[in-house]
Amino acid sequence: MLFFLARRLLAAVPTLLAVLTLVFVIVRIVPGDPALVILGDQATPDAAAALRAKLGTDRPLWDQYAGFMGRALTGDIGTSMVTGRPIAAEIAAVLPHTLDLTLAAMVFGILLGLPAGIWAALHRNRAIDVAARLLSLLGLSFPVFVSGIFLLLAFALHWRIFPVIGSADLADPLDRLHKLLLPAMTLGLVMAAYITRVTRSAMLQSLGEDFIRTARAKGVPHRRIVWVHGLRNASLPIVTVVGLYVGILLGNSVLTEIVFNRPGLGKLIVGALNQRDYTMLQGLMVIYCVLIVAVNTATDLLYGVLDPRVRAA
Amino acid sequence: MAGWRAALLGAAWLVGLAWDATAQPVLRVGMAAQDVGRLDPHFATSTIDRVVVGWMFNGLVRFAPGSADPATIEPDLAERWDSSADGKTWTFHLRRGVRFHGNYGELTAEDVAFSLKKAGTAASSAFSADFRSIGSVEAVDPYTVRIVLRENVPSLLGILTNYSGGYIVSKRAAEERGDGFTRAPIGTGPFALDRVTPSQSAELVAHAEYFREAPQIGRISYRFIPSDASRDLAFQNRELDLNYGRSDQTWVNRMRQQPGVTVDIFEPAELAILNLNITQPPFNDLRVRQALAHAVNRAELVRWRGTDVSREGQSLVPRGYLGFIEAGVLPHDPVRARALLAEAGHGSGLTVKVIHTQLPEMLNMMQVVQQQLRRAGITLDLQVVEHATFHQQIRQDLSPLVYYSAARFPVADIYLTQFWHGRSIVKTPTAVTNFSHCSQADAQIDAARVSTDREEQLKLWGEAQRILVQQVCGVPLVETLLVFARRDALDYGYPLRGSMSLGPPITERTRLR
Repeated sequence: MLFFLARRLLAAVPTLLAVLTLVFVIVRIVPGDPALVILGDQATPDAAAALRAKLGTDRPLWDQYAGFMGRALTGDIGTSMVTGRPIAAEIAAVLPHTLDLTLAAMVFGILLGLPAGIWAALHRNRAIDVAARLLSLLGLSFPVFVSGIFLLLAFALHWRIFPVIGSADLADPLDRLHKLLLPAMTLGLVMAAYITRVTRSAMLQSLGEDFIRTARAKGVPHRRIVWVHGLRNASLPIVTVVGLYVGILLGNSVLTEIVFNRPGLGKLIVGALNQRDYTMLQGLMVIYCVLIVAVNTATDLLYGVLDPRVRAA
Repeated sequence: MAGWRAALLGAAWLVGLAWDATAQPVLRVGMAAQDVGRLDPHFATSTIDRVVVGWMFNGLVRFAPGSADPATIEPDLAERWDSSADGKTWTFHLRRGVRFHGNYGELTAEDVAFSLKKAGTAASSAFSADFRSIGSVEAVDPYTVRIVLRENVPSLLGILTNYSGGYIVSKRAAEERGDGFTRAPIGTGPFALDRVTPSQSAELVAHAEYFREAPQIGRISYRFIPSDASRDLAFQNRELDLNYGRSDQTWVNRMRQQPGVTVDIFEPAELAILNLNITQPPFNDLRVRQALAHAVNRAELVRWRGTDVSREGQSLVPRGYLGFIEAGVLPHDPVRARALLAEAGHGSGLTVKVIHTQLPEMLNMMQVVQQQLRRAGITLDLQVVEHATFHQQIRQDLSPLVYYSAARFPVADIYLTQFWHGRSIVKTPTAVTNFSHCSQADAQIDAARVSTDREEQLKLWGEAQRILVQQVCGVPLVETLLVFARRDALDYGYPLRGSMSLGPPITERTRLR
């Protein structure tokens, strides 16, 4: 298992290096001059040139790249070009909010989607199955910014259970939970819809296999057939979807954070993009990349736990 | 005397200690922003930054709270001033006992001289161009500052107001904090920056030792809520007391229907202009420019945007600026427009490729203009790009027609110089925002700037506007006012008619009832 883990972690290193290079290039391909964004529309060319020199954006690209990689490899992701604040501190301040949201949405999605998918598979083509499929289709069809506004109208404005502004005090666990529920529900609904569909289809396939028929013939109890034999064999595609979906959740959290006015990586990245804050964009991309690589590695490890054949391969 | 002063200062300090900001009400402001940018006032260029900087800093002089009219300029950090007979040497006498935020002590002439020099230096200010006429600034004694001008300026007091480069900062704090000053600025205003939580809010605390009097509001929570829908819902849900609004009649009407809500619509208006590059085809032909001007229907644009929040542009300088005249813009006449196009050899119509921003407010307006021009046979092929890209590309002279909307200090000279003077033509070493390449009124603009005769100055500014409008260097569209909504419990303490900081000034008199 340790060898398996080491192999997976080693494979992540070139991925990270490639992403760092890609991020550097992409950020600079986007047109728009950070100096102009910072100085506004009354800036003279002198002022813009002075700021470019200060920010280092007037240096040759290779020089900027060498500096960026050198700092990134030593764990220094620099300071924001626009606010001058240390990027690591900015990210550290908002990362807990994004992790809260992503994890809560994932838990919500699994808790809702997994039983719904299993239930639908066990009642194939009956009313429950049709309802589950319809509801999951609805969940997939509603963009987060639409469902979020609907939920706000209902739970914040009509029933006044939750606030509209979802930025919580991290030191207060109750406040944190209270302000997390509605955004997590919004984001988790889409994930639940995905998981429902994937679980249903994986379970249907698994329950149709010969070994299930054999188990039934041997008189294994129905509950054991479903939860142990059926679900365990259906779990690989479900874990794959959950693993992949964490990346999508991180992406979708941008919209959720904006609609619910929560601080987070998503809001930070939109601001950095609008302001052409190269260093902040780079720092955020690195964090996103690390998170995605970590999730994928964890998913790979989970494969190994669920199916020993993967480890052997 | 010194003993008395020390005693008074000691007493003020004790009052400051006893005064507890946390016991005072908190003002919650919703702003359409992802985050603040640079809070060094000399780098505060965006609306988001300007609004909050206005609460933290003072100038030597100020616009009366709630006004953007230069006629209301009154003493702020300076209690009086005088100038030499030739108008080139100005002496400002500072108020005594003005305290900076934190433990940065009393304001002195050294701070003022440092601030104005900093504001006039390209490396430390985005507004250095405004200060190019200032030859020297020196601290004569701790409470006296002398400014010597290289040449006359239309309004020195205008440059020294609580606006852009006129804000006074603490010399000691700026030197101590270096680049960090931009995120931890120190001023003398009624509110001091407490902390910024990225993507969430900037928290300000009342400056108990504010020289006018301690503010009645204890804290300001300036919340960054980029989604218009969420911000409006939060305001409706009473989670905000003051809400940045949209310059849109539907929005205004919707807000006015809410009980206990007042919508404030105020100056300065942003004038939107179609800038035409007169050096390149097709706009190097005056007849084509005139055709385009005749094709624009300003009254329709005002009806579309809203009669409460907009008005027709009548010159290439916004209405209400010192020196503005109704310059005789060409009336809406699509028949005449078609005839002029035919005369210019474009009888079958004309297509122009235009780079434009995807910013919704600007894009929507441009799409209405696009339809108006199409009726006269002019097709705008809009190349829609992201906003920062738009700004970069129009400055590279890549678009023969540029839609640009801006407000400036309300004296005609600034607008005329930045948009219509040959020195400001884009892609030149002294470029600002002259996209039309017009320089026909340079002589009038330059002469007006150094004139000491106010009547002659006004005449020259009027003449410049007439020339530019006749040459159709640009086509004025509409002027759009600023909009904020507030709960009636919020009393500014003054009538809000204008604000150069682009948001309602929160002063020591502002209170939450």
